[in-house]
Formats: sequence, structure tokens, C-alpha cells
Amino acid sequence: MEDKYSSNVLSAGKLGMVEVPEAKLMRYIVLLVISKVFKALGIFESYDVLKYVHIVQFIFILKLGSAIILLFFQKPFSSGKVITKRQWIKLLKHAVFSCVISLLGFFGLTLCGPLRALLLFEHSDVVVIALLGVLFTNTGGGPSKTRGAAFFIIAVVCLLLFDNDDLMAKMAEHPEGHHDSHLTHFLYTSISFLGLADHKGGVVLLVASLCLKVAFHTASRKLSVELGGAKRLYALDNLVCAVVLLPWVVVLSATTESKVESWSSLVLPFGMIVLSVMILEFYVESVCSAKMEAPRCARYGAVALFLSGLLLANFWTHPLTDQLWSVGKPPQQLSTEHVLSGGVLVSALFFIMSSSILSSPSRKGQKGTLVGYSPEGTPLYNFMGDALQHTSQSLPRFIKDSLKQILEEYDSRQIFYFLCLNLAFTFVELFYGVWTNSLGLISDGFHMLFDCSALVLGLFAALMTRWKATRIFSYGYGRVEILSGFINGLFLMVIAFFVFMESITRLLDPPNINTDMLTPVSVGGLLVNLVGICAFSHAHSHGAKSCHAHGSHAHGSHAHGGHGHSHSSGSGMNANMRGVFLHVLADTLGSVGVIISTILIRQFGWLIADPICSLFISSLIFLSVIPLIKDACEVLLLRTPPEHEKELNAALEKIEKMDGVLSYRDAHFWRHSANTIAGTIHLQVMSDVVEQRIIQQVTPVLKDAGVNNLSVQVEKEAYFQHMSGLSTGFQEVLTMTQQMESMKCLNDGTCIM
Amino acid sequence: MSVLCVCVFQGTIHPFRKTHRSMVGKLVQEFRLVSSDRRSWRILVFGVLNLLCTGCLLMWCSSTNSMALTAYTYLTIFDLFRTHCRMFERLEVLSVFASTVLVQLGALFILKESVERFMEQPEVHTGRLLVGTFVALFFNLLTLLSVRNKPFSYVSEAASSSWLQEHVADLSRSVCGVVPGLSSILLPRMNPFVLINVCGALSLCITYTLIETNNYNAVDTASAVTIALMTFGTMYPMSVYSGKVLLQTTPSHVIGQLDKLLREVSTLDGVLEVRNEHFWTVGFGSLAGSAHVRIRRDANEQLVLAHVTNRLLPLVSTLTVQIFKDDWTRPLLTSVLAPPPSEGHAHFSDADPLTSTPSKQTPPPEFSFHTPGRNVAPVVFPAPSPHAHRPYAGLGLSYLGVPTAPRPGPGPGPGLGPRPHAHAHSFRTSSVNLGFGSNSQYRHYMP
Repeated sequence: MEDKYSSNVLSAGKLGMVEVPEAKLMRYIVLLVISKVFKALGIFESYDVLKYVHIVQFIFILKLGSAIILLFFQKPFSSGKVITKRQWIKLLKHAVFSCVISLLGFFGLTLCGPLRALLLFEHSDVVVIALLGVLFTNTGGGPSKTRGAAFFIIAVVCLLLFDNDDLMAKMAEHPEGHHDSHLTHFLYTSISFLGLADHKGGVVLLVASLCLKVAFHTASRKLSVELGGAKRLYALDNLVCAVVLLPWVVVLSATTESKVESWSSLVLPFGMIVLSVMILEFYVESVCSAKMEAPRCARYGAVALFLSGLLLANFWTHPLTDQLWSVGKPPQQLSTEHVLSGGVLVSALFFIMSSSILSSPSRKGQKGTLVGYSPEGTPLYNFMGDALQHTSQSLPRFIKDSLKQILEEYDSRQIFYFLCLNLAFTFVELFYGVWTNSLGLISDGFHMLFDCSALVLGLFAALMTRWKATRIFSYGYGRVEILSGFINGLFLMVIAFFVFMESITRLLDPPNINTDMLTPVSVGGLLVNLVGICAFSHAHSHGAKSCHAHGSHAHGSHAHGGHGHSHSSGSGMNANMRGVFLHVLADTLGSVGVIISTILIRQFGWLIADPICSLFISSLIFLSVIPLIKDACEVLLLRTPPEHEKELNAALEKIEKMDGVLSYRDAHFWRHSANTIAGTIHLQVMSDVVEQRIIQQVTPVLKDAGVNNLSVQVEKEAYFQHMSGLSTGFQEVLTMTQQMESMKCLNDGTCIM
Repeated sequence: MSVLCVCVFQGTIHPFRKTHRSMVGKLVQEFRLVSSDRRSWRILVFGVLNLLCTGCLLMWCSSTNSMALTAYTYLTIFDLFRTHCRMFERLEVLSVFASTVLVQLGALFILKESVERFMEQPEVHTGRLLVGTFVALFFNLLTLLSVRNKPFSYVSEAASSSWLQEHVADLSRSVCGVVPGLSSILLPRMNPFVLINVCGALSLCITYTLIETNNYNAVDTASAVTIALMTFGTMYPMSVYSGKVLLQTTPSHVIGQLDKLLREVSTLDGVLEVRNEHFWTVGFGSLAGSAHVRIRRDANEQLVLAHVTNRLLPLVSTLTVQIFKDDWTRPLLTSVLAPPPSEGHAHFSDADPLTSTPSKQTPPPEFSFHTPGRNVAPVVFPAPSPHAHRPYAGLGLSYLGVPTAPRPGPGPGPGLGPRPHAHAHSFRTSSVNLGFGSNSQYRHYMP
């Protein structure tokens, strides 16, 4: 049913994998669900066991038990190829890694309880790989995958922030008390070093070890092929793990006293854990992934596991279950730990949704490009392009290249150095703010970061300006600079607006300001910004001067025409640099204002000085931005550049007086970028004139007026005759006629009757 | 015409444009014009209402101390930008770009504020929160649905869909998989403005319930971040689209068509190559362009020009084609024997002093092979139609083959016949008319 609505013919159902009907798979699904329920039981049980047994001993017993059973079933030594020495070494490494991962996993289990461990750690590889694909590559596979990834993150955040675990308080009481060994002690201290509570530390630890687990599984695929199957590898791995852990366990049991009274009472729980967690789940998973495709397997498994985990968490500490299990277990001491909370419920919901979304088959087919149509009329798509054209640059090389580009030219170099200075100041401020726990400093640091975004924009525009022209950007990227100047101007207007609003609310109700911290910060900011002003004022003065020159005595540049213009291309009319300069200027004004108001408040206690100062500053910023925005608007609106208007008029008059030229129409001249003025003009000439000669005469005249990208269309009477002959353009000629008429009426004021 | 000019002067609606010509007398005059037109009255009323509503909401924001409501209020301010009426084509693009960028900058500001709030979450009072949400939602939807804004609706349809739209489309597709009856409601593309308004209101409602029940004040900041991100997502494609128009780029959706036409042009008889082709959009939708066409030495320039223009004109409404030939100074037939007098090229870049004065002696190249010649003029003219005015009359042309039927309308009576003065008169334009954006120039883009 869903396929009916998918836009593409090639969606998963029709041309993808052939799906086996549901009925045949039913028993496997049931088997999978049962094994998952047992696994959840086993995890809950092992949490209880881990309260009394040391974690290393626990893992050793687990590995040993499963190794014995698997040796019995798989017979890894008597069947299959002989294992070489190199393979044994690889196996050893593999085993060490798997020991570390199960250590981390079970340690996380002790930290945040069985339900949370289940939710965080027991995701299948498919889900995690899809998640990482969405997070770190662009080709995630459509919006649904993105949504799944967002759900996953929300679920983890829910566990971190909104889960009020009761155990947290208890843990805080004896943070260093009951650690059994150096290992757990080390882990605890590393978590507390991160500044997290134990429970939250467990969440982070579990997420990290989940990623490790997936990476480990992916890496161990090659080894499993070498050894002849995943099952043989698993059996051998368990055995080697047990061997690796044996010396540690011996040392541990010799040095520390065990909390377990009788090992015999633990035989049953251990047997159950080994069977459910290690053996049953492994076999069922391998069977199911052989019969069904992996995504579906992951989907059903995750849903079953999480739901049974939720149910068990509700009933595990229930009195009824206590009676049931009291045979094999020491009596319960702590009945209210790691209970269900709203946060856990919500996050479990999100986890279930995200794993079902992420494990659903992706519709890669939607990315194909239409090539054409087959003789039958069905569309043909091309899927190769993506894979072939997708070449990614390595990150260090990219950084090196862009740095080189930045440092090549004056403008971008200035912006870059100033950006570095600004960022350094910001981070010093932020760190100092965190160190001294001063909120004012931190917020000022964020404000600086906010300002840095304007610098980044300017830097990016200065880089882009030098890109080569493409099919889409047919004149080149020079205009980006003007757009960036415009955006920076708007940015400053927004800032001025917010400062204005803030100062008005403060004017009505002046708050008490703590002036201790303000002075050094504002002096520092002032110094940084003064450096910036010094750096940028050079470029800016150039720009301003050239503008003035154009405005005041326009005929000055007329004398050396196009030549002079190409020289001033670097700094003249550079809207981008003007925007950046104004930004720095506004920041400087802000710092000065803060200093002045601080002095006034300290000396005279005028609390109202602060809002008045900011009111003044905001209006200054606003007024200073207006010329920039006006100029950028004129360029963006394709207006005739005002500084060339006189020359252009003169040039047009000159053209009209040329021999053979009857008239001109559609004369458009506009500034495209700092150093390009483009123009188009249609000339009507007498029929006995050579067109090329006219073009050759007209071009230098307009070039003298500053136009350096020109198209001249020379029309004779014959052209209009041909156009009317090609009567296909009837409508166009009609509109052209109307345009001409309206133009005549408006401009000459007379209609030719 | 009055409405067109009015909008530029409406101070409340466009605060920046006012500075261009802020003459009080003109403003008063324009205000009178506004009050005479019904449509602009409505817009004015909506603008004032919007201002009132925004002010009210801003006061509530400060009283509730809620960041999310502030973020939502900025969407209302955006509606204020939206309510302006028709303007000159290019100014429309600029206003769309400016308002989308302003809203995004506002969202950036909200993001910054919320980062600061995450560190020290102040208490949020929920008293006016829900009321403010519903007032803002109602008002936004009212403005959206009652004031039709042509440029904004055009951009929201033409720009690529935002991530919000994509997610909603994806969700609704799977919903339609379950309930097929909903397909007519859910499957068409959602209006992005309605979508963001509804989503913002929804997240505010969730905030309200969570704060009321569990006192999670951090939810307010989180939903402010969400609204800001949604604003980014909605506005970004539109600002990219209008920004590309402002950057004078070739719109990517016509590139295929253009390529096809240019291929056709380059296969025309006599055409050697097409280069320096620039195409861009002036307003939303109207394409302008210029191209240089190199042709064979013996081809008829006017014929090729007419053919090229004829091909491109349906797509590119404002077109300039520069024709050039190599070595045009050499006489055609003796080119092999006699050395050329000067190596002057047809390239416009070098100004040859030798050819700076026109030489009347050069024979006109009208005698080349494939041309019917200007005197033959194969005019296939439509029969004298009952139109109010003739299609080509205003051009001031003379057709030799034209049946001299009685001319209705303002035909150029004296302009008939090969009289160059008549042409000179009728083609003359005032030299004030420069550039696309200047005020007077725009008049002839309008019908």
C-alpha cells in the first residue's frame, strides 16, 4: 500500500530485494521475540548477580560457561581448517577487544541499571551504522532516516536530562566507598573527572561502548571468514577470553575477599544468564539473519527487547517476583533503585521509534537521475553518477588549500587574522568565565561568537569572489561580495534593533549593574577592536576615497577611463570590506559605551547612563549602516552606477551623433561587481553601414565611460523585416511594439498620431 | 500605477527604502493615493493591526519571560514584512531576500540567547503563554490567508522545499499508506509559512503542558531552539532562491531549455559559435540575457541576428545579441590574393585607431549567398485584422509588401517609406533611461 504513494518507480518493494511472505517467517519471528525476552531476563538477572560478584569474575564465568557449551556444540578443533599461528595471534587480539567491550558494557550495566543498559547498549549494527551514516555523511537516505537519527539523539538526551534516577542520590553518598578493585576505581574516577553523575556517566559510557561494539563487529568480519564461520569464531573467542581473564581472576580472588557466601546458590542464575544472554541469543540471531534480511531482524528484535525490558523493569522488584526468585537468590536489600521514570518511558518510546525507522530499508532509488525514456515509454534512471562523481577531499588537505587561498589576497588575509584574534579573545573570555563561574563573562563571550559569524561571512565572501565563472554564475562570483555586504548591513541593523529594544526596556526600569567585571572585559574588547579598525581602515579609506572621488569630481576619473578603473579594482567599492569594517566599528563603539557608562555609574551612581549610552550607540550603528545598505541595494537592483551616470549620458549622446547611427534603445548599464560594469545596448543603423565598424566605434566610447562588459546589438531595417517574416515571434513583436509605444508616450510626451 | 509607487513610500512596511526619497510632501501625497485605493487600504489596515499585535506580543514575552514565545513573535514580525503589495520586479526580489535574511538573523539571535539561557534557566510564567500563542497563531494565519502576496507565494512555490516540508511530506505519505482517504489533504505540498506557524504553535503548546505539569523550565529554551531551527529551515531555501536572482545567475531550472536553444542557434546557417552568453532573471520569472555570436564572413548579419533572436525570444524576453565576424575588413572575394590592409579584429576589446572613423566606401555585405536581400522581404504578414492597432505599427517600420489597407489606431503614418528621419525620431529614447532598476526605466516593463 505504501508503494502506491512513493514517488519513484524504483522504490524498495518492486525492484529491490524479493521479500519472503510473512507467514513463512512467522516461526522465526516468534523465536526471535522469545530469545529477546529471555535475553532481557538474563540482563536483569545479571544486574542482580553483579551486586555480589566482582565484574571480572562475572565476565570470566560467563565466557567460560559459554565456551564449554559452545565447544560441545561447535567442536571448533575437530572440525574445519587447522588454525595457524598468525590466526591465533589475531584471535588473541580479538579476544582482548571483546573482553574490553564486555567489561565496559557490564560496567555500564552496574552504573545505570538493566533497563537503561538495554535501551542504550542492545542496538543492532544495522541501526547504529544507519545512525552514523546520517550523522556524518550527507547521503543518509532521505528525511525519514534523519528523523530516526533525531529520535535517537532525543532519546539519549532524555535519559541524560530528564531521567530522575533515585540511585543518583545514593551514589553521591559513597562515591569512593564500595569499589572493589582498581579497575572499577579507575573507571569511576575517569567518569567523575568528566564532571558527570555516575548514572549519566553510565549513559555516556554505554553509548561510547555501543559505537565500539559496532566497530568491533565490523572489523571482525574478516577474521570470521578466515576462521571459517562466525560460529566457530565465537566459540574460540569465548575460550580465548576465558584464558585471557584467568590470571586476573586468580590474582583477584587471592587478594580480595569475596562477598559471595555460597557459590552454589549462584549456579542457577549463572546458568540462566549464560544460556539466555550468550548462547540462545547468538544462535537465534544467526538463524534469523540467515532466513530474514538483517533490517527486519533488527526491527523485531529491538521492539521485543525494549518492550520486555520495560515490562520487566516494572515487575522485577515487585513482591510477587521476589517470592518467585527467592529460592535461588539472596533476599532483596534495595527495592527501589533504577525504577521507571517518565524520562525513561519517553526515551524508550523514542528508542523504539528510532530503531524501527533506522532499520527500515532505505530508498536509495530516489536519487537517480532521469536519463531518458525507453521505447515503451517507461522512464530510465541513472544511478551510477553518484558513486562515480563523489570524490571527497581529505580534511587536512582541504584546510591547507583554503588557508593558502585565504592568505593569498590582502582582504581575506586581514579578515582572517582579525577573526583569529577575535576568536582567541573570545575563548580566553569563555574559559575564564567558566573558571571563575561568572555568567556575565560567558554571555559576553557568546556575544563575541555571535559577532564572529559576521566576520566568517565576510571571509567566505572574500574567498568566493575569486572563484572562476561557471555556467550558472556566468559573470563570475564577484557579486557575492556585494550580497555579503548587504547581509552584513542587515545584520548590523538587527543588532541595532535588539540593542534599541533592550535599552528602552532598561530605560523604563534601570537594573542594578555589577560593574566589577565590566571594565577589564570592555577594555580588552576595545583593544582587540582597535587593532581591527587599524587593519581595516586602510582598505576602507581606499574605498571611501574612491567613492568620494567619483562623487565630487567625476570627470577626474573620466580622463584616464578604463585604465584607472582596472587599477582600483582591489579596494574600490568593496561592499564586503565596508560591512566588516562597520561591524568592527560598531563593536568598538559598544566597548567605548560600556566604559563610559561604567565610569558614570561608579562616579555618580547614574544607573540610567547605561541605557542612554546603548540607545545612543544603537542609533549610531543604524545611521552608519544606512549608506552601505543603500549602495548595496542600488547595485543589487541593477541601477545605473551613479558615479558613471554623467559619463554614460555623454557617451550615449556621442553614439547618437555617429555617422550612420539612427538611434538606440534598451540601453542598460549596471554595476555587476566591484570591477565589472556590464551593459547592453541596441543600435539602429542605416542600411548601408557595416555593422562591425559600428561595433568597433561604439565599444571604445562606452569603455571610456567605464563599461567593460558590453554587448551591442546592431539592427538595420532588414532585421525588423526578417523578424516580421519569421512570424513565429508574433506575440513577442507585439509586446515589443507595445513597449516601444509606451516608452514613446512616457518619455517624449507625445504620441505619434 | 499609484499602488506601485505607494509601496515604496510606505514607511511602516519598508523602513529602509524610505531613506531614498524621504520628502514629506511626497509622502503625504502618496498617503492620499493610498487612501483612495481599496486594496491598499486593506494592506494598511493589516499593517497597523500587525504592529499592534506584535507590540502586544512583545509585552507578553517580557512578562512571561519565555524565549519560545519571543521566537514565535518574530514570525509575526515577518508577516509584517510580508504584507507589502506589488512593487517593481527587482525590488520585489530584494524585499523577499531582505525579509527572509532578517528573519534568519533574528533566529540566530534567538539561538545565541538560548545558549546563554541553557546555563542559567530563569523561571517561565505560563500565565500568558498559551493566550499569546493562540493570538499569534490566529493572527498569522489570518494575515497569511487574507493578504495574497505575489512575490512570496511565487518564491515559496519555486524554491526548493525546506526540511520541515520534506519531513511533513514523508510523514504524510506514510500516513496515507495507512489511511488512503487522507491523500487529497495531506499529499499536496504544504505552504511553508502555514507549516511553520502551526509547528511553532504546537511546540509552544507542548512547552506549556510540560511546564505546567512537571515544571521543566528548560523545555522553553529547547522549544525556542526548535522554532529558531524551523525558521532557518523554512527561510533558507527562499533566501537562496532570491539571492541567486540578485546575484544575476542563470536559474538552474531553465539551463536545460537554454542549452537546447543555444545548440539550435549554433546549428543555424552561418553561425560559427556562441560565446559570452549571460542569462539572468530580472524579476521573478522574466529572463534577460546577452550573447556574442560569431558568424561566417559571408553570412548576412541581419538575417542571422533575426533568426537567433527569433529562437531565443520566447524564453529570454530581454535579449541583446552581438554579432561579430573575423577579418571583416578584408574584401570577401579578393581575400586570398590581396594582403589585408589592417589586421583589425572584430573583437570589441581593442580600439583600432585606423577604423575609428566610418568609411562610407566599404561595400555593404548584403550580397552574400543565402540571403534573400533586404529588398525581397518575404513578408508573411497576417491579414488585416480587426485589432485595435497593428502589431508592428509602433516600430515605425516600412514594409514594402504590406498591403496598404486602411490603418486603424495610432499607426505611424508619416513613418512609412524609407525615410531615415522618421526612424531616427521614433527610435529616439531619452537619455535618462538607463539601467534596469531606475524608476523610469521600469515603466516599459509594465503593460
